[in-house]
Amino acid sequence: MPATDFQGSFGRSLLTLRRDQVDSSHHHQPSTTMEVELDSFQRQVAEKFIDLNASAGENNLLSLDWISKLLDSFLCCQEEFRAIIFNHRSQISTPPMDRLLSDYFERSIKALDVCNAIRDGIEQIRQWQKLSDIVISALDSSHRPVGEGQLRRAKKALIDLAIGMLDEKDHSSTTNLSHRNRSFGRVKDNHHRSFGHFRSLSWSVSRSWSASKQLQALANNLTNPKPNDVAASNGLAVPVYTMTSVLLFVMWVLVAAIPCQDRGLQVNFFVPRHYQWAVPVMSLHDKIVEESKRRDRKNCCGLLKEIGRIEKSSRVMNELIDSIQFPLSEERESEVKQRVEELVEVHEGLKNGLDPFERKVREVFHRIVRSRTESLDSLC
Amino acid sequence: MEPQEQNSRSSDGDDCSVSGFDSAEKVIMKWDATASEEAREKMIFTDPQEVKLYLHAVDEIQRYVSSSPGEELESRASSAIQIAMARLEDEFRNILVSHSSPINSDSLMSCSSHVEVEEDNNNNNEEEDNNNQEEETDLLKRTGSSSSSSSATTVRLPTGRGSYSRSTSSIREIELIPIDAVVYLSWIARRMVSAGYLRECIQVYGSVRKSAVDSSFRRLGIEKLSIGDVQRLNWEALEQKIRRWIRAAKVCVRVVFASEKLLCEHVFESVGAVNIHEACFMETVKGPAIQLFNFAEAISISRRSPEKLFKILDLHDALIELLPDIESVFDLKSSDSIRVQAAEILSRLAEAARGILSEFENAVLREPSRVPVPGGTIHPLTRYVMNYISLISEYRPTLVDLIMSKPSRNATDTNAPEMDFSEVENKGPLALHLIWIILILQFNLEGKSKYYRDAALSHLFVMNNVHYIVQKIKGSTELREMIGDLYLRKLTGKFRQAATYYQRAAWVKVLYCLRDEGLRTKGSFASGVSRSALRERFKSFNALFEEVHRVQSQWLVPDSQLREELKISILEKLSPAYRSFLGRFRSHIESGKHPENYIKITVEELETEVLDLFEGLTATQQHQRRRSE
Repeated sequence: MPATDFQGSFGRSLLTLRRDQVDSSHHHQPSTTMEVELDSFQRQVAEKFIDLNASAGENNLLSLDWISKLLDSFLCCQEEFRAIIFNHRSQISTPPMDRLLSDYFERSIKALDVCNAIRDGIEQIRQWQKLSDIVISALDSSHRPVGEGQLRRAKKALIDLAIGMLDEKDHSSTTNLSHRNRSFGRVKDNHHRSFGHFRSLSWSVSRSWSASKQLQALANNLTNPKPNDVAASNGLAVPVYTMTSVLLFVMWVLVAAIPCQDRGLQVNFFVPRHYQWAVPVMSLHDKIVEESKRRDRKNCCGLLKEIGRIEKSSRVMNELIDSIQFPLSEERESEVKQRVEELVEVHEGLKNGLDPFERKVREVFHRIVRSRTESLDSLC
Repeated sequence: MEPQEQNSRSSDGDDCSVSGFDSAEKVIMKWDATASEEAREKMIFTDPQEVKLYLHAVDEIQRYVSSSPGEELESRASSAIQIAMARLEDEFRNILVSHSSPINSDSLMSCSSHVEVEEDNNNNNEEEDNNNQEEETDLLKRTGSSSSSSSATTVRLPTGRGSYSRSTSSIREIELIPIDAVVYLSWIARRMVSAGYLRECIQVYGSVRKSAVDSSFRRLGIEKLSIGDVQRLNWEALEQKIRRWIRAAKVCVRVVFASEKLLCEHVFESVGAVNIHEACFMETVKGPAIQLFNFAEAISISRRSPEKLFKILDLHDALIELLPDIESVFDLKSSDSIRVQAAEILSRLAEAARGILSEFENAVLREPSRVPVPGGTIHPLTRYVMNYISLISEYRPTLVDLIMSKPSRNATDTNAPEMDFSEVENKGPLALHLIWIILILQFNLEGKSKYYRDAALSHLFVMNNVHYIVQKIKGSTELREMIGDLYLRKLTGKFRQAATYYQRAAWVKVLYCLRDEGLRTKGSFASGVSRSALRERFKSFNALFEEVHRVQSQWLVPDSQLREELKISILEKLSPAYRSFLGRFRSHIESGKHPENYIKITVEELETEVLDLFEGLTATQQHQRRRSE
């Protein structure tokens, strides 16, 4: 593995070693049509990720829009990969390709399960939207000035929203919280529901399912193909490795961004630098890891930009409401109006973007299935 | 019954209306749980009198809100409304929760029972068949319940067939919540919606009902299996789960979902806006519906192998049957994704069925076992394939719609038989596939027959197996119809020919001993018989016959009728030949020394010995038989 190689090299900086590897790749001259095909695939993947990296500015990285673009890029790469496998299907049932492809399709099952779990997460976000809708409609001052009642109503929804957006790891501490909003304390025992229980009802996966375990399984033993394998497969081992890495990365991003059960991002993800797409992918990876460590996003339930905005604007709104004294001064009124507008803005984008995004995730699901079915049939 | 909204009488004088407002406000404040301990302890909707008062108060305040009474009153009104709505939301939740036990198991059982009875009968057959299963090759080890018993007559009935009704009269809504509770809920809903608190109402409703649906799911045995889980399970376990899912899905769509839809309609009936009950319905069932279909989807994605065909067809049929009900229950724009998913699963299952059939054909063609079956009897592959296609013929109604292309033969593959499609112009693709399968089975069997060292045995093997094929076809009207008489005749001719080849190969040497030529000395007709040559002949005949008898008694022709026919056919040649040989030459032997060394058996004894043939007796058994005679 490259990492251990680096550790073993005395007196040579990491940088030098990587540069050597990059240099050596320049001497490689593709000659046959197959080599051209494989090389073009590498280039396409690289181009997509360079583009994604370039558009991953402060505000755009992990936004719904950006992730949609990531999924589009995945679909393109997937199609080209599928074509390569199809063009060389006579080779795929002999070793080592049979083993390598089988392995890839085993991993792709994990990806399918992640796609399904993401659907749940999207539904979760829709629930938050509905709560925000309540806040927005309560504080809508277009027909009449905002009254105390409306503020209380908005406050109630904001608390529910805050609870709903808590990372599920914290749910045990919120069981008391969930009862605060009820106007009576006596709840029939057999209908007592702790918040944690409530949460698990909304996942369509079993209690033991874990997004982080799926990712780890996806990444398990994912290593740069051995030179023997590359030679024996006429180079086909390389696109398999590439596609697997892309698949892993995309799933990792989805889990990072969207709420799901047992969301852990600790995955060994490392791509040897000699791949054209390694630099942009690793750069994105690093940026996202950094984002996850930021103080204000450390315990959030999903790194999606829009989630952060909802959190922020609803928190600000909450504070504002708490600070309000009646009668409402004109200043306060306009502040409320402003915050409402912010909230509306955050939600407009989500409202329009969430459905197409869900459909795109579903499309990813379908393409993975189709590619799998086609190839597994040929593998037999 | 419902507390009437009072007509507006504000024109009668402010005093009246203001005091109306005041008393209404008082009622609402009384029940403000954030303010009073007592309000927290009791429920409004347990006391009809309190209900009347409270709702009347709410309506009164609401009237004020909509009639723009001036700033101060407006503010008080809006505040009171909020408190009332918060209270009503809790009352709403409480009513729902106290009546939302999962569907009565009796109702569930009675709904699924008539389907279960069908299933159970079929399950019993499967178990019997499993016990009678013959030893099979590696290809077949995974067959599980798809290959049935060895008997030609018992054929497994596929599950879930019979009533092919495509009507939605199968939907059965049941009462989920008692009617008086529903009335209360609808009263509250009406107030909440007209006060603009629609969203809260939907949210409470959805969350409580969804958890009730989840409980019903658990009772029906619907599991939260991931695609990975499904891949890991072995096929027998999956078959069981599929069976259970089919039963459960029918109850879910026709009873659970349909009842929830009706409940939504009842609760939000008087509310006004059309889409509210639709939104509530989707809030309640969208998640569970997706969860339900995820399992069927996982099955449709799983790796294809021959033994999966029939359960996949069962699943396919069940979904087709359910489709009209799904369309009817999920007829909203917002439930598009569910209908789409069901249709996707259906098409994947169809694809899977097609793929499995292809794979089956490949497997039959390539089945590689070379170990000859002892005694030349019926090869396990033959049994497996014929049972498989018998079952296919029973699934004809489904498969005829699914199989749309002719069997494909890889043109460059020299290791496969030819198929002339011109002879079978009138046949549909499914029938063509079945004929093709029989062709490749034969082809494979021919290859296997070459591994017998004894040519006679290899012909016997072919005869036995092709005969079995013919019997199986004759035994199933569906199969016979699809294969057609032309091919049946060809196959019959085939096994008859094999029988002839066998006889030639097995008996030609024996019969050769009984020929006339070479025995008479040159020249005169009258007395020129070489005794030594004759003695040699008798010795050879005895030795050869004994050898044939010894060896071929261990051979097997399982079909009793065929066995008898074959013996008769042998005797028809052998008996007269021996009789005439004896007749012509016995005197020559008997006139010499030790005739008993040469004429060892009579014609009758010969005939008896021939009866031993093809019984599959071992050497010891033969010896024991001889002893007891």
